[in-house]
Amino acid sequence: MAASWFRILPAAAVVAAAPATATVYLSIPEAQAALFPGARFLEHPLTLSDAQRKAISRAAGAPAYDKVERVWEVRSGDRRAGWFMVDRVIGKHEFITYALALGPDGTVRGIEILEYRETYGGEIRNPNWRRQFVGKKPGSALRLDGDIRNISGATLSSRHVTDGVRRLLVTYQMLLANI
Amino acid sequence: MRRSRPLLGTYVEITADNSGIVEAGFAAVERIQALMSAHDPKSELSRMNCLAHRQDVEVSAETFAVLERATHWWRSSGGVFDVVAAGERSLAEARIPRHSAQPRPAERDFRTVTLDGRKVQLAGPACLDLGGIAKGYAVDEAVRAMRRCGADRGLVNAGGDLYGFGAEPWSIVVVDPRTRRPVVDVLLHDEALATSACIDGSSAHLPAGADWLSVTVRAPNACDADALTKIVWAAPANVEELLRGAGAHAFGIRPDGRIEEVGRPALAA
Repeated sequence: MAASWFRILPAAAVVAAAPATATVYLSIPEAQAALFPGARFLEHPLTLSDAQRKAISRAAGAPAYDKVERVWEVRSGDRRAGWFMVDRVIGKHEFITYALALGPDGTVRGIEILEYRETYGGEIRNPNWRRQFVGKKPGSALRLDGDIRNISGATLSSRHVTDGVRRLLVTYQMLLANI
Repeated sequence: MRRSRPLLGTYVEITADNSGIVEAGFAAVERIQALMSAHDPKSELSRMNCLAHRQDVEVSAETFAVLERATHWWRSSGGVFDVVAAGERSLAEARIPRHSAQPRPAERDFRTVTLDGRKVQLAGPACLDLGGIAKGYAVDEAVRAMRRCGADRGLVNAGGDLYGFGAEPWSIVVVDPRTRRPVVDVLLHDEALATSACIDGSSAHLPAGADWLSVTVRAPNACDADALTKIVWAAPANVEELLRGAGAHAFGIRPDGRIEEVGRPALAA
């Protein structure tokens, strides 16, 4: 007798499924409003030289992918309320954009995943999978994902985001703390 | 709305009707992480691992509840589920750090642990790792906090240990650990689902054994579902009785890709 509490998906449906799943949790403006309600955001992009990127990578012990870090100074009335940064990291199976909120003294106020993309099977080892993200602006994806999947599987490590946050904190120390 | 944050070493995703409920859920998860993280030298768990072989260590109601449940599963599984043995493995394989004040473990199994009131004693230096059960407990705590906030529906997913509640059932797909392709779907209704799998051939909380690629347990709460995935994986003789006793069911994916319910004949793939 077949069990009734779970359903084995027919192989055809599995093959027909999209090769990757994407979940958009928050747009950049939504994340800004959630992490700093009522504040103003002044764009303050950081263009990093190769030497700066190397120094940041070394100090953080984590790779840097992007030449420009997306940074906003957060203003509330006439004072600085903190910094808002958007960054991305690439894991083995996943591509993640996230936002980091820092208080005016550089302490972490919050981290929100903005977008999470995961790939299936054969695509993982394919360098084209990574290439499709090159030049893509974080948070620019449309909300294409009609059926949002809830996935139970092996635990995926969040180490790449943790490494990314460490890199952003070093970036803050080197380039923003004394502004 | 749906939000995701890096917590408990994985991505914790909470779906609920408003941001107050979502924040209450995340706050509960953050509290469990602060109490039971092996990576945080200031957690209650690290305090036990540093001190409980020399003096009684008093712990929070939450940590105590997890230790009691870990005791239950250790005893009833004949020692298959063992957070002390798992801690020693995690330490040996450098998956968790040994903090500066933490002794090398001399004790290798759960017999070293004594619980008394809310106090924990260790017969000798030992390293407990609650990673095989605390994630599920954190999910349950998040759900309790969300319900206290008035939530009548919600889903909490901590890297595959999840609980869904509300009038409508939640649709969950279970993925093949090798390919991340969805292979099974389950409708979840005021219940927990947990999956444990071997990624890249190793997982600290899974005893050695090549019978399964992945094991999924459905149970009334996520704490038990989490622990039971490890027990099903190790397949003690009384596994069906343990599942029944917890009101739980399980299936797994075999190395050849077949999907089988535990305690039932093989199903066609």
